[in-house]
Amino acid sequence: MIQVREVTKRYGAKTVVDRLSFTAKPGQVTGFLGPNGAGKSTTMRMIVGLDAPNSGDILVNGKPYVSAKAPLREIGVLIEAKAVHPGRTAVSHLLALARTHGIPRSRVDQVLDMVGLSTVAHKRVGAFSLGMGQRLGIAAALLGDPAVVMLDEPVNGLDPEGVLWVRNLLTGLAAEGRTVMLSSHLMSEVSLIADHLVIVGRGRLLADTTVADFVTAEGVRVVTPAPDELRTVIAGPGITVTSTGAEELLVAGASAREIGLAAATRGIPLFELTPQNSSLEEAFMDLTRDAVEYEASR
Amino acid sequence: MKITPGGVVAAEWTKFSSLRSTWITTGISVLLLIAFGMIASASFSGDTMTSVDLALSGSILAALSVGVLGALLGASEYTTGMIRATLATVPRRSPVLWSKSLVAGAAAFVTMTIGAFAAFALGSAVLNEKVGGLGLGDDGVLRALLGAGLYLGLVAVLGVALGMLVRSSAGAIAILTGALLVVPVLAPLLPDAISDAVTPYLPGNAGSAVMALAPAEGTLSPWAGLAVFAGYVAVTLAAAAYRLKKTDA
Ligand SMILES: Nc1ncnc2c1ncn2[C@@H]1O[C@H](COP(=O)(O)OP(=O)(O)OP(=O)(O)O)[C@@H](O)[C@H]1O
Ligand SMILES: [Mg+2]
Repeated sequence: MIQVREVTKRYGAKTVVDRLSFTAKPGQVTGFLGPNGAGKSTTMRMIVGLDAPNSGDILVNGKPYVSAKAPLREIGVLIEAKAVHPGRTAVSHLLALARTHGIPRSRVDQVLDMVGLSTVAHKRVGAFSLGMGQRLGIAAALLGDPAVVMLDEPVNGLDPEGVLWVRNLLTGLAAEGRTVMLSSHLMSEVSLIADHLVIVGRGRLLADTTVADFVTAEGVRVVTPAPDELRTVIAGPGITVTSTGAEELLVAGASAREIGLAAATRGIPLFELTPQNSSLEEAFMDLTRDAVEYEASR
Repeated sequence: MKITPGGVVAAEWTKFSSLRSTWITTGISVLLLIAFGMIASASFSGDTMTSVDLALSGSILAALSVGVLGALLGASEYTTGMIRATLATVPRRSPVLWSKSLVAGAAAFVTMTIGAFAAFALGSAVLNEKVGGLGLGDDGVLRALLGAGLYLGLVAVLGVALGMLVRSSAGAIAILTGALLVVPVLAPLLPDAISDAVTPYLPGNAGSAVMALAPAEGTLSPWAGLAVFAGYVAVTLAAAAYRLKKTDA
C-alpha cells in the first residue's frame, strides 16, 4: 500500500506537487495519469525517498520508506530506465542491487529470465535498446519480490509484444495481492490495465476514481429547437442537464433511448441525439485541459 | 533478506569490480609506480635522494591515477543516473558512501602496497651504482613502503568523497588535481613567512611525508603528515555525507 498525504514539493519558487493525497491499495492496479510536467515522476521519487517533500508525508506499507529494514522487499521501482551505469552488464547491475539485501544470484537469473533478457545478461547495458533498458528496469523492480511495484512509464519504448507482456505482468502482480502503480500520459494504455485512476495536473489531484466511473461521467448530447421544454420533460432524480449551446444540451444520467422516447411523447423535435461515448482519452483531455503546461502551439 | 552493512559493502565491491575501467586504471597506477621507480632508480646519480625516494618517485602520478579512479567511481553514480537505483535500494543513504570509500580505499591500499614493494625490489635491482642500496630491514624502509600504500589508499577515498560531493567527474578530478599538484606549486608564491608555515600542511605534502625515509627540512614527521592528510579526507567525506543525506538525488 502507498499512502500519499497532503504532499507538497517545490523546486525553487515552482510548486510541482501541490497538497496531493491518494492511496494505492493492494490487489489493485493504480494508474497515475497526467500531462507532461504534472508531477508524476516527482511524486514517485518522493515515494521512495529520492526527493524529500516540503510538507506532507508518505507511507509505504504503513511506514516511512527510509525506515524499512528490507526496502527491496517493500517496494520495487522503475524510476528511469537508464538509471544504470552503461559499462556494467545486466547481471552485474542487478547483482549490485541484490547484494545490498543478501538476495542470491539465482534470483538475479530468475528476474532476467522473467523479463526476457537471459540471452543478453552478460552484455553491457550501454549497448541496450530503449526497450531492453526498460525490461532491465522492470527486472530490478521485481528483484526483492516486493509487496508494492511502482513503475514510471513502464511501456515507454516497448514493442507491442512487450506492452502486452507488461500488461499481463502487472495485472498478474495485482492478482497476487500486491499493490501496483504505474504512471503514463496515455489514458488508452492505462485503462486497459488499471482498476483505480489517480489523475493529476500541475501537481494537483484532478480525479481519484475508477476506470468505470470515469467514462460514465459522460452523457448524451441533444440538439433541439426547444431545449427548455425538453429540460422539464426529462428532469428527474439522478439526471443532470447542462446547456452547452443555444440549442444544445448535455444530459447525464439518462440514456439516448430514454431521452428520445420522452421527447417523442411530447412531440419535441430532435436534430441530434448522440451518446457521448467519448473515449477515455477525450475525457482525460477534457479533465486535464486547463492543467496542460507544455502544449504545442496550434 | 534485509539490508546489512556487509551487504552494502559487497554491493559496492560488485559495482567497483564489474567495470572494465577499474581494472585498467588500477593496472595503470601500479605500472606507473613501478616504471617510474625503476627509471628513476637506474638514472639518478646524485646524493639528494635515497633508494626508497627513487623507488617511490612514481607515487605522484599513481596518486593522481587512483584519485581519478575514486572520483570516477563516486561521480559516475550521478553522471549515469545510477544513484537513483542505488538510493532507492539503500534509502538510508550514508552506508553507500562509507562502503564505496571502504572498497576503493582498500583496493587501492592493497594494489599500491604491492606496487610500492615491487617498485622498491625492481628499483633496487637496477639501482644506479652511485646511490647506496637499502634493505627492507633498514630504518624507515618498511614504514615508507607501507606508508605509500596507506597514502594512496586514502587518495582513492578522497577521490570517492570528491566525486560524491561535487557529482561531476570533471569537477571532482579538477579539485583533486588542484589539491595534489597545483596548490603545492602556488604556495611558494605567498610571502615567505606564510608559505613556510602552510606548505607542510598542504594535502600532497602532508600525505607524502609518510613516504620519506627521514623527514626533510620543512616537512611533517611521517605519521603526523599522514594524519593531517587523513584529516582532509575525513572533512571531505563528512561534507559528502552531509550533501548525500540532505539533498534530493
Ligand atoms: N530536480 C528538479 N529541479 C527543478 N525542477 C524540476 C525537477 N524535477 C522536476 N522538475 C519540474 O517539475 C515538474 C514536474 O516534473 P515531473 O517530471 O514530475 O513531471 P511528470 O508528470 O513526470 O512529467 P512527464 O509526463 O513528462 O514525465 C516539471 O515542470 C519539471 O520541470
Ligand atoms: Mg515523468
